[in-house]
Amino acid sequence: MSGSVEAIIQESSMSPEESAALARDLAKIVGEEGVSTKMVDRLATCRDFWPLMGVWFVEGKVPALPDVIVWPKSTAEVAAVLSLANERGIPVTPFGKGSGVLGGAIPLRGGIVLDTKLMKRVKELDRENLMITVEPGLNGALYEEYLNRHGFTGGHFPQSVRCSSVGGWLACRAAGQLSNRYGKIEDIVVALEAVLPDGTVIRGPKKPRTSTGPRIDLLFLGSEGTLGVITEATLSIWPYPEQKAKLSYAFDSLEQGLTVIRKIMQAGGRPAVVRLYDLDETAGHFPETREAEGRCMLVLLIEGDSTLVSAEVKLAQELALEEKGLDCGEAPVDHWDERRYNVSLSSKMIRQGAVLDTIEVTANWDNAFTVYKNMREALLNVEGTALASGHYSHVYPEGACLYMTICGFAPGDKTEYYKRFWSAAMEACLASGASIGHHHGLGLHRGLWMEEEQGENLKILRRIKQALDPKGIMNPGKLSLEVAEKWQK
Amino acid sequence: MAEIDRKLLLDCALCPNMCRCECPVDQALGKEAVSPTGKARFAHMMLEGQLPWSEEFVEAVYSCVGCKGCETLCPFEGLELAEELRLVRLEAARQGVTLNSVQPYLSNLKKYGSPYGSRAPLSEEARGSKGAEVLVFAGCTTVANNPASLEAILALLDRAGVSYQMVEEYCCGYPADLWGDPELARQLAKENVRLFADSGARKLITNCPECWLTFKRRYPEWEQELPLEVVDGTAFLLELVREGRLKPAKVEGLEKVAYHDPCVWARYEERTEVPRELLASIPGLKLEEAAAAGKATRCCGGGQMFQLASPAGSEAIARRRLAEFPAGMPIVTDCPFCREGLKVEGAEVLELVELLQRACCGGSGR
Repeated sequence: MSGSVEAIIQESSMSPEESAALARDLAKIVGEEGVSTKMVDRLATCRDFWPLMGVWFVEGKVPALPDVIVWPKSTAEVAAVLSLANERGIPVTPFGKGSGVLGGAIPLRGGIVLDTKLMKRVKELDRENLMITVEPGLNGALYEEYLNRHGFTGGHFPQSVRCSSVGGWLACRAAGQLSNRYGKIEDIVVALEAVLPDGTVIRGPKKPRTSTGPRIDLLFLGSEGTLGVITEATLSIWPYPEQKAKLSYAFDSLEQGLTVIRKIMQAGGRPAVVRLYDLDETAGHFPETREAEGRCMLVLLIEGDSTLVSAEVKLAQELALEEKGLDCGEAPVDHWDERRYNVSLSSKMIRQGAVLDTIEVTANWDNAFTVYKNMREALLNVEGTALASGHYSHVYPEGACLYMTICGFAPGDKTEYYKRFWSAAMEACLASGASIGHHHGLGLHRGLWMEEEQGENLKILRRIKQALDPKGIMNPGKLSLEVAEKWQK
Repeated sequence: MAEIDRKLLLDCALCPNMCRCECPVDQALGKEAVSPTGKARFAHMMLEGQLPWSEEFVEAVYSCVGCKGCETLCPFEGLELAEELRLVRLEAARQGVTLNSVQPYLSNLKKYGSPYGSRAPLSEEARGSKGAEVLVFAGCTTVANNPASLEAILALLDRAGVSYQMVEEYCCGYPADLWGDPELARQLAKENVRLFADSGARKLITNCPECWLTFKRRYPEWEQELPLEVVDGTAFLLELVREGRLKPAKVEGLEKVAYHDPCVWARYEERTEVPRELLASIPGLKLEEAAAAGKATRCCGGGQMFQLASPAGSEAIARRRLAEFPAGMPIVTDCPFCREGLKVEGAEVLELVELLQRACCGGSGR
């Protein structure tokens, strides 16, 4: 039925009779319209936007097919679906918008894909306490649009904002492009509601803070569907920014730029956007800025209350000049703003046979440059790599996120080349003392380095997984919580 | 005949759905298969022979309302996804697959020249003045669903002293072209061109944006040379108001309306001011804008005749769109599909010509 489409890392699946029987039982919970065993829906939800999926798509391959897709409309329906699956030991892979980039939504062992798209209501806008409560399937751009219409912002703008969901942000521990001002998703979230595999519903307190033991609901941040399903989120919101200021500077070296942003953050400045590009990316993004030729561009967007914005602008200007930054004006910031959601090059390159990816890692200031140097060198040493560039895009008083872009043409098998450059990047990152991930999560592929990253902690995480999901039904094979039999380094 | 741009379609299929927030089908139905990228992926896979041409997969490429919402965010230069999907549907038809839900309408088109079935002959009054310069093209959807709006435009023309005529028109060809039967579309177009030429009219006015778009965009592609100028009905009426030939008066009991921009007018033609100026010409009437208005409009559920191809999907899109309008006032629009699409949940929707008739002619009389 699936023509010549090949599911190449599928570990198990049901017989057509078994999936039809399961669909009938699920229809009793969510109605006939809420269930599908059609191949069109199975193919549509068999993957996310892990760049390797694009390569496989061109090759006519898919990773693994679910047997049944279910679209619940409420927490109660999610609980009933999970209870049924748990009772029968059927795998469940939660699916938001499928915008993840590491294979987290691939249903390796078939079973049920639980699609949250119909759970997209805004449940409460709390103007006095600056909070909003929404369902997980709400599209990111529509979430922000809703808030803007009411005079607020959600402050969370991942590059995927137009194609991702609130639930997905939480499940993979996301960060938005304005995160220095508004925080990452773990800073923005107030409380979660989630359903455990046995159908138990847990809820966190919608309070600014508590000192009442560990927060069980927040365990779901970054869990990527391996512990249960997030069914509701309460998030902080902000008044729509009163003022925005755009600054940019070109530096002779990446180190000078790093010094400036470290000092801004350590002095208490919180520019919403901080992006420092290496030589290659500066040349690629800002060819029209004469002062940036042969230099490294720093782009800053400062926004919020006008008094605070003025103070932050002054701080940034002084520190940039101290490091001999050349003022490039507002144009580079506008350029970034216009292009920030444009990922068209990725499609074009994959169509032309390239293999590419982005890898974001976290370093402290004392080795932020070394990590870049070592990862870039390691990536360029992999045969076939044509480009390895980087920028720093989320910064803290303690360090920064380094975001590497890799593009190459495989000398042989594309998947093998992909694995080789990832291994080179991860090894260089770990050897340099950085953390292997900043905001894309782990999914299937980066999960392979969990042991090196987490050490003993991984054993504890596995015990937590075992306690909450003893039958191992939730998104099996991800985060290295169990072995993915057909996907290894 | 245009050809599928396989490279652009593949670019779209490889994109992470960066426009999905503006795809009404995706947002209303919540199914990955009908996301913009989902549609492109299935189109690509069928074209590549990776999947069979079957109703199940072809349905995905029918799940487009042609609103150009995706294009407002698309970075791929030259990509018109709705247009690519139309061409894929033509290929599907060549492969023997047309969506089951549209088959009865295609049969009607072949038999009666209208997707809705037989049409009553024109009354003498509606035929107007033989040889008149202006020809009114009603459009099948207006005739089938809201003949009152046709009455309204005729009444307004009478009031303005514009001599007009109507002919026993055929469907413009739009649905046949949408649903994979270009030969039928071309035959219908040919019949219409013959009727128009015989009429001696020099100007065709229509209140159906889909008919208007078909005349403007498809007739040249089908090598059907129109012997007259095609004019947007709303714009024509606005000219009559500007010239003082129509004099709108206050409509008793109506103080506020909202306006829904049809996708064809707002996105294809980028014409958003004409209806607003016309509404502003009615004394004492205040226009309240929808949350998404003008070029940022969103589909009513009726785009590309989605009501017929997918009634439940169309209704879901309409409910979503209705939530963007201010409550407690009628919604005015100038497209028979939008009017029909938005008429769910008891919403009061009327066509702009009907409102203008009330303002210029009082009541519903001529």
